[in-house]
Amino acid sequence: MATLSTRQTRLHFARDLATVIFGLFILLLLAFPFIWVVLISFRPDREIFTRTFRLITSVTLDNYYALLENSPFPNYLVNSAIVCSISTVAAVIISLVAAYGFSRNRSFKGRGVLLMLVICTQLFPFVILITPLYSLFLHLGLIDNPVSLVISYTAMNLPFAIYLLLGYLDTIPQDLDEAAKLDGASTLQIIFKVILPIAWPGLVTVAVNAFVSAWDEFLFALTLMTSDEKKTVPVGLAGFFGEYTTQWNLVMTASVITTLPTLILFMFLQRKLVSDLAAGAVKR
Amino acid sequence: MSATVSEQGSAAGAARKASTSLHWLEPYALILPAMAVLAFFFAGPAIYSIALSFQQVSLFDLGKPNAWVGFDNFVVVLSGAGLGAAFFNTAVMQTFVTVLLRLVFGLALAILLNADVFRRWHLGWLVRSLVLVPFVIPPVVAVAAWKWLLDPRYGAVNQLLISVGAIERGIPFLSRTSTVWGAVETMLIWRELPFVVITFLAALQSIPKELKESARIDGASEFQIHMRIVLPMLKPVIAVVALLTTIWTFNNFVYVWLATRGGPGDYTQVLATKMYTVSFVDYRVGEGAAIGVLMSVIMFVFALAYLTILARQNKGKG
Repeated sequence: MATLSTRQTRLHFARDLATVIFGLFILLLLAFPFIWVVLISFRPDREIFTRTFRLITSVTLDNYYALLENSPFPNYLVNSAIVCSISTVAAVIISLVAAYGFSRNRSFKGRGVLLMLVICTQLFPFVILITPLYSLFLHLGLIDNPVSLVISYTAMNLPFAIYLLLGYLDTIPQDLDEAAKLDGASTLQIIFKVILPIAWPGLVTVAVNAFVSAWDEFLFALTLMTSDEKKTVPVGLAGFFGEYTTQWNLVMTASVITTLPTLILFMFLQRKLVSDLAAGAVKR
Repeated sequence: MSATVSEQGSAAGAARKASTSLHWLEPYALILPAMAVLAFFFAGPAIYSIALSFQQVSLFDLGKPNAWVGFDNFVVVLSGAGLGAAFFNTAVMQTFVTVLLRLVFGLALAILLNADVFRRWHLGWLVRSLVLVPFVIPPVVAVAAWKWLLDPRYGAVNQLLISVGAIERGIPFLSRTSTVWGAVETMLIWRELPFVVITFLAALQSIPKELKESARIDGASEFQIHMRIVLPMLKPVIAVVALLTTIWTFNNFVYVWLATRGGPGDYTQVLATKMYTVSFVDYRVGEGAAIGVLMSVIMFVFALAYLTILARQNKGKG
């Protein structure tokens, strides 16, 4: 009996070990392309452009110096940082106020239809908006002006933000609002002084999601920003591997820097963010 | 602090009493900013785009009064040689193939990673971090990484294939018609797989353990448990993920544009890149808008299906 159970536990352990090794192998394979990008970014030129595959070589920061000192890339970073920050703050504030309106007023006329429309915009093919929006912004004199990108990214992120915050606010008991209202607080005061401090976990998810999707966005940035000084990171980076000879070492280095902000945001908020986004996607 | 709040409060309270008749306006006032932004960004342009599709417009004539030409743009677009191919590429090569493979791989990977041992050995954080790697990478970077991996001369994939003797000279994956779709689909699936895995993982973790446990005691094999219990329970999630990824992928522009610009020739042209090219490279905005209208008609059908499923699921929950 004793020998049987030890054999069984041993068998069990072997199966566990096999599962873990197999699982981690697949995951490493999945992560490899990016690990490779990071390795290349620290590799000297002459060891990049060789005909044989090598995992380990000497390490240098030359690519980073070259990119940050002798290329327009830092300028793209500044442009992206400004546009993404402003549009994130705008999306969070506007969606919080709207979500509060939807959450605390259950029966105003048109509520169902408006909410439905908000959800539908998420299914909307963005790409077909680009021509009419180009024309609209041309009229307003906002082509090659970051304001047009800020507006676009704010709008792009609103539907998901409203939807996610609505779910969050519904879980916050209304007693708090009532108490504040009895103290004579106005609705805006309630939203920003009572609700905001409680709803911050939802707001963080919304903010990170808004920032990352603005940071990643390519098509609008490509179309609306026409001069090189106004380009954002994705478009600038894409220009580095355009039609002509490509300096892959700089592309890989720029790729690492481009990924850094999203990587950091996700590392800090990993568990929470993942469950929120997954839940949001399924319940949407 | 509290004093100022209550002072402001009493003033506000008095003001509110005076305006109770306007109280019904409050929800509209709260959602107005959001609705205004959405109307400017979605509703206005959508209607404008329909108008453009019936006009003869070039990119430089935008905003001037243009000639209305009825369905001419649609006739030109639909009778043009490229549209059928672009539709096939969009529907089958870019969307159907990649959605199907993402569902299959995503489900398999989620079931594997849901194994109890990862939790017992405290490897959950490692699993989550590694799964997320492609997800945190901007699509532009994903394309850059894969273009470099697939480079005919210096790319790691070709170098590895040469070193094991599978090929003698590097394959230019992105400029050969036999390999280009496989390459683009690989990039897309790689970047978009984590979303599917994470969503399925969350759904798997919500299945009560007792269900599987009792089936195991009844002598069911792991395979039977997954086929008979887990899959049926995941069906609603699978349906939602399938539809959402279909809608997102159908409209996708960035992978084909950055990987191939629709090439070699027009071989990988999809509707989104075709629309962009017609409008912004050939300057025929009216025809571009017509392609956009056709795309949204197709998408409308999918959106309707999605909303129907969603409504049915919500009703099921009560």
